[in-house]
Amino acid sequence: MKSKYGIIGLAWFLLLLLIAGCVGQPPSPSPKPTTVTPTPTSTPTPSSVSEKKIKAAFIYVGPIGDYGWTHAHDKARKYVDNLFPWLKTSYAESVAEGDADRYIDRFIHEGYDVVFTTSFGYMDSTIEAGKKYPDKIFFHCSGYKRYKNVGTYFAEFYQLYYLNGLMAGALTKSNKIGYVGAYPTPEVVRHINAFALGIKEVNSEAKVYVRWLFSWYDPSKAKEAAESLIAEGVDTLAFTEDSPTVVEVGQEHTEKGQQIYTFAHYSPMLKFGPDTVVSGQLVHWEKIYEDILSKIYTGIYNSTNLENVDYWWMLKEHAVELGVDYGTPINPKFINQLKAVKVKEKVTGQEMSVYDLVMLRLKQMSEEVPTFDPYTGPIYDQNGKLRAKPGERLGHDPLWTMDWFVSNVVGEVPKPS
Amino acid sequence: MEVELIISVLKLTMEAGTPLLLGTLGEIYAERSGVLNLGVEGMMIMGAVTAFASTIYTGNPWVGVAAAAAVGGLMSLIHSFISITLKGNQIVSGLALTMFGLGLSGLIGKNYIGLTVRRINEFSIPALSKIPFLGPIIFQHDLLVYLSLALVPIMWFILFKTRIGINIRSVGENPAAADTLGVNVVLTRYLCVFTGGVLAGVAGAYLSLVYTPEWIEGMTAGKGWIVIALTIFSTWNPLNALVGAYLFGGIDAIQFNLQPLGIPVNVLKMLPYLMTIIVLLMVTRKTIRKKIGAPAALGIPYSREEK
Repeated sequence: MKSKYGIIGLAWFLLLLLIAGCVGQPPSPSPKPTTVTPTPTSTPTPSSVSEKKIKAAFIYVGPIGDYGWTHAHDKARKYVDNLFPWLKTSYAESVAEGDADRYIDRFIHEGYDVVFTTSFGYMDSTIEAGKKYPDKIFFHCSGYKRYKNVGTYFAEFYQLYYLNGLMAGALTKSNKIGYVGAYPTPEVVRHINAFALGIKEVNSEAKVYVRWLFSWYDPSKAKEAAESLIAEGVDTLAFTEDSPTVVEVGQEHTEKGQQIYTFAHYSPMLKFGPDTVVSGQLVHWEKIYEDILSKIYTGIYNSTNLENVDYWWMLKEHAVELGVDYGTPINPKFINQLKAVKVKEKVTGQEMSVYDLVMLRLKQMSEEVPTFDPYTGPIYDQNGKLRAKPGERLGHDPLWTMDWFVSNVVGEVPKPS
Repeated sequence: MEVELIISVLKLTMEAGTPLLLGTLGEIYAERSGVLNLGVEGMMIMGAVTAFASTIYTGNPWVGVAAAAAVGGLMSLIHSFISITLKGNQIVSGLALTMFGLGLSGLIGKNYIGLTVRRINEFSIPALSKIPFLGPIIFQHDLLVYLSLALVPIMWFILFKTRIGINIRSVGENPAAADTLGVNVVLTRYLCVFTGGVLAGVAGAYLSLVYTPEWIEGMTAGKGWIVIALTIFSTWNPLNALVGAYLFGGIDAIQFNLQPLGIPVNVLKMLPYLMTIIVLLMVTRKTIRKKIGAPAALGIPYSREEK
């Protein structure tokens, strides 16, 4: 008797799922690989290579419905899928970091040639897969381990955080600047330090106060952290978290008459805080995916020569963009304020507005061989230890393993206990 | 400065506690009538996405709240149908409802990511909001906060001081006896679970229209489960629910002020659950159960012929 009801209940539930599935919405949110066929809108390929097709799979750690990391990767996937008629892509979302092997196996068995794994925690699984499938190609995002058929890639933001820091240092009135951080990983620490170095360059008084969410994605926590920083007297906020929450908190306070300056992260956020958001970071993963995939297509990359292929792309490769929205580097509302603050450019000693300084640095860092880098010494950490000698530029490795704060950050980097 | 900090933390406490309070009040009614609904998380997130979407279309956040209430209520009917009418397993049905809600909300919400919505504005109560210290803490919120506060005594009164409340509690305590006395067990349970669904939906609307006015997949982030814990923590009493919800909200509000003092967030995050376990341990003791009136028939389907 009881089991019969159970079955009826189950059947009812499955029916509902079916109805829900038929409503005709985009792909299912369950972590099931979803195939997207390319739209043949681009020009036909030359007949010599017209038979060649590449199937690329993407494995995401979050839902494509966040407003940050995974959303940005998926936008880029759609872009290359439309761009290359010879490319067929597919993805799996919300894949737990320990579960990547299963998804990689599945994609390979379905005949995929290239697999992109887009979370640091997939690193070992990706290397294992490289050894297991020596004739396939893998690219791992944000890791440091490579193999003959496993390359790495990353779109790096520290130059933009530095530029945001210049603006934050110029705008703050309380000289207390808040940072809502996700996890104390070297990447986030590097961004906080770059932000703090920018602040220091224009404002020697201001300090950066950091709060950790211990989550990449938690809007409620982000709100609570931002509110508590504001309650402690902070008037400027930057963050690492995959939602526009911090900007919205800034907007709410600004509307009530308490001006808060915020810096957007990862996605265009101008519309979430037109009166608060000053500038921010935007990513263009499609630049990297386009480059990698076209090089695989033309045979420049194959399953034997990726040991040293590491993309570490920034401004000059156009993988990242300074902005509150695409094409809007600085919210027009704040341009006059930034033009009114005069500082001395530290290299030439020339007096200029912070706005001009931001534009100058942006140009210098976008050059083919960047003539400026935020991580140029002398740089001291909180304990007064010299971390970069005068004139020395910190390279990839010290930046990649950074676990210390520069002198104007308050609080310590939490250490794993 | 220090006073301002305290005001800010307490104000945020009330805001962080509101979705928990709304959800808990509803779940108390469902459980008092003998139906355990583990689908709160699912109903809440469906409420959040519905509220957001309907506010985008109509431009009126109150339409969003109403739609969220309706969707929460409708979803609860699925649970009622399975667990009351079909006498299915309440735990399985509730869990399924949560997973269903999380999945469906993600599906519906795909088109709403990155959109902005008209939030529900604050409504400062005239005169009262000017009281020093207490004014800005208690009387400068949006209407949903006041609504949740008003519901506490009302729902307490109905549950413990009226005929309807006696019926609800007797259905949850001993449905066979209640049935004999002419109480409509099925209808009572349906209505209580429906109340829970409506309030969970409104709690979701609060998240996507007030607390963090945006739509992002999975934005309830486990608040529905805290509600389940809070229901036990409050010993199925709406007055205690107020204390519990604000206590949990308070931990949310203050954790980032404590962080620089070296108090690890992980410990703070654990606290609500730890307290729930302690309460749970206490209420498993028969004498205490009796005293606080834990619904004896909780989780047990009622069928007349099986007597």
